Amino acid sequence: MDDGPEWGHATEFGDIAGQVAIVGIGETAYTRASGRSAREIGAEAAERAITDCGLAPGDIDGLTYSAAFADFDVAAFHDHFGTSHEMWSSPWGGGMSWAGTAPYLAAKAIERGDARHVLNVFPVAWASQRGGMTGGPGEVHASQSLKQNLEVPFGWFPQPVYFATIMRRHMIEFGTKPEHFGAVAVAARWNANRNPDAVMHGKKMDLDDYAAAPMLAEPLRLFDSCLISDGGAAYVTASLDRARDLPHPPVVVQGVGEGISGSGQHWSQQRPFTSTPQVFSAPLAFTMAGLTPRDVDVLAVYDPFTVVTIMQIEDMGFCRKGEGGPFVEEVSLWWNGEGLPCNTHGGLLSHAYVLGIAHVVELVKQLRETASAQVYDCEVGVYGGYTGMHASTLVLTVDR
Amino acid sequence: MAITRADFPLPDVSDDLVAGYFFGAAAGEVRIPRCSACDRWCWYPEAACPGCGGELVWTATTGRATLFSWAVVWRAFLPAFADIVPFVTALVALEEEPSIRLVTMIIDVSSESLVADMPVEAVFRPLRFPTVPDREVIVPMFRPIEAVS
Repeated sequence: MDDGPEWGHATEFGDIAGQVAIVGIGETAYTRASGRSAREIGAEAAERAITDCGLAPGDIDGLTYSAAFADFDVAAFHDHFGTSHEMWSSPWGGGMSWAGTAPYLAAKAIERGDARHVLNVFPVAWASQRGGMTGGPGEVHASQSLKQNLEVPFGWFPQPVYFATIMRRHMIEFGTKPEHFGAVAVAARWNANRNPDAVMHGKKMDLDDYAAAPMLAEPLRLFDSCLISDGGAAYVTASLDRARDLPHPPVVVQGVGEGISGSGQHWSQQRPFTSTPQVFSAPLAFTMAGLTPRDVDVLAVYDPFTVVTIMQIEDMGFCRKGEGGPFVEEVSLWWNGEGLPCNTHGGLLSHAYVLGIAHVVELVKQLRETASAQVYDCEVGVYGGYTGMHASTLVLTVDR
Repeated sequence: MAITRADFPLPDVSDDLVAGYFFGAAAGEVRIPRCSACDRWCWYPEAACPGCGGELVWTATTGRATLFSWAVVWRAFLPAFADIVPFVTALVALEEEPSIRLVTMIIDVSSESLVADMPVEAVFRPLRFPTVPDREVIVPMFRPIEAVS
């Protein structure tokens, strides 16, 4: 199928290479249903991130969060910390694709003098909310009227079914095999078993276990699908100059990209069904950073389903389009393999489904050399965010 | 955001944006909005032609398509589907405009005999769910063109 060059585009970003750095990270526990609200989880993640960078809540004068969830906005910040100062804020941060572009918003706010220390927060309590479609990923989708009328009645719902058809089409177009998807799932679990904070820590899984697991929507098996979790994380961005005064080695933002599909928000109508807008995002981020995929020591890609890892690895340029299946089988994604360590915390598949925020935090740990599944000699980390019609790319290095 | 409509997951045929699709099915046709000014097909339905702003008119198609992709659903993600798993949900690419993909079910055939890009045709069947008693909506489902029922 000729997808043409015009199926999407990249957001025009100015060059911010080396302007800002991530100076603090904070995480809550990652769990199954906790009974906690997303707002409480967000507050805890924020508090820990602020503490981590040696600042006080009153020093945080910028906040980015998710417009779609808005669980931890400026009002929630002030409520929690008992503060009342002026804060610059944007609802175009948080998790998913925006976990990768929030540092760009921070860089621009800092450049304009609107803020010095910008907090990005993303909490989720979907494990607690999932009962009875009263929250969680299924309801978010089912409540959209076109999906409700033209997709759900035919059983093309929820996300595992969308991605089962994407997997099938990837298999049709490129010859991708079940064991390729299995290699992604097994690598995520291997990595999670090195990380005591991962929900699936201690639960070993190999390719035989993968193949023996139930089909949810053939060809998609149980372990092709991510978890449902409660948890949250946050990070603080500051100028590189400011970062050098703070306790941790600055994790420097070298490149940011965002790609947007022109086929709208529905997966069913995405013109290149087996590609992601990483096609548009990744080249710009790597160019801004002056780096290439070959320079990457650790990768973190948004992995709601195994096929999304494969598509992003292809679309970011780690291999040619369609060769992602053989690539993940031959080039290990294991944290301690010889290949391309990927989702070293366990990813959405085996760490927690906190929609990408923990991916970025994991890269910061890797670059600080404090990760549980620490990659040897880690200098360049890259996040690939994905939300269907959006993708983002964040290239990070460390200033030791 | 909770869904309170009692006939969910049947389609809401009172929704003006999509009603034409189900009226078409009841009349034995796959109808898709087409611009009366520039002839462009528009899917999903919109208020006006995204190309030229012209009026969209529900227009009959041949009802023929090719099987773009499919999944055999084993897990009933909604209680309404518990009695029909496993079933085949699919995307079919319309003959008139293959960039248009209809979400549908493939029926009258074993899932093992499905082949990528095979020709399929619409058949119009009532969609019923045990969770929505006494209600049905006629919808386009698809079957391989070779299969004679």
